[in-house]
Amino acid sequence: MPKVKKKRVGFVIDMTPLVDITFLLLTFFMFTAKFKSQAESEQKFTIQRPYASADTSKMPDKDLALIKIAIDSASGDTSYHYELINEQLRQNVWNSIQSLTPEMRSKHQLIVNLDILGQLVKYTVLYSKNKIKFAIDADRRLRYKWIADATDVMRRNRATVFNYVTQKRQ
Amino acid sequence: MAGGGGGLTLERSKRGKQSKRKKKHRIGFRLDMTPLVDITFLLLTFFMFTTTMAAPQIMEMSVPPEQKTVDVDASKLITFLVRADGNIFWNIGTDDPEPVKLEAVKGIAERENLKEGKRNKMITVLKVSEESKYYNLILVLDQLNLAELKIGTEISKDKDEKGNPAKRERRFTIAPFTEDDLNKIKDL
Repeated sequence: MPKVKKKRVGFVIDMTPLVDITFLLLTFFMFTAKFKSQAESEQKFTIQRPYASADTSKMPDKDLALIKIAIDSASGDTSYHYELINEQLRQNVWNSIQSLTPEMRSKHQLIVNLDILGQLVKYTVLYSKNKIKFAIDADRRLRYKWIADATDVMRRNRATVFNYVTQKRQ
Repeated sequence: MAGGGGGLTLERSKRGKQSKRKKKHRIGFRLDMTPLVDITFLLLTFFMFTTTMAAPQIMEMSVPPEQKTVDVDASKLITFLVRADGNIFWNIGTDDPEPVKLEAVKGIAERENLKEGKRNKMITVLKVSEESKYYNLILVLDQLNLAELKIGTEISKDKDEKGNPAKRERRFTIAPFTEDDLNKIKDL
């Protein structure tokens, strides 16, 4: 005679270890999560950064002036963008540029031409007293001319040390 | 996962009525954790999918200042040229440029920077054609950064005047790619 099958009604699994691990992972991911900055959520492009080997020098998240050279995903046009992470400095610099409209002054990131970029770099150097780092965040598909023009403008405004933003090769 | 709850709530409410006079026995008491686990898993999956692990990195670079000109010994300049088609050439001082593969750049940088008498004194100059891709510059720069590992370790074995380990001074600079440079490497 075969064994009588045990009834499995109302059986209970101890979920405590599961909950422990889940909470551990959840807290980890919650603390490491980094949200998009306001400037990033305003922009309509994504930059395909050039790949480089793993490096210890991470992009700083404060006292940084970012020059983004991006290809618009819809129109395919290349444009320069300027972002200042430091709030106080940004207001000072933005207010020093005569040609900006009040609406543009409220933005975290500006679409600029080389002429305005030069002015922005000049005032950033002036107000920040060399505390700020410059970084060029450019798309890897671009011709070097775009970057050379930007560095030339920076050189003329006494920002001679800067950084290229890259991404770790997978 | 859903097997946790079931009849437990009923049992508990029964016990609750009895406990008016008698002190409740809390041994073996169970809490239904299913909704908690549900929400936790939901949040966990959300955060897992939204995190990007690869934070952007930076590479330092410098350009010579505009006003003052810096005089340097030509033999202490190591130049890497990137032509419009992405090919790389290199030379020391005023020598004629030679073609080089991207993978060999690291070896050259290590060798030249550690040569006797020139240790820690070389300046690396990068000249990139404006028609070239920006990515080519980063690839060369990446190789030079990799070479820095060995150069830094080797140089820290040297002693300065006070007997402290010498510090590696990383001197990279970017210079304009001139017509003259192009003519030298045009036919190579």
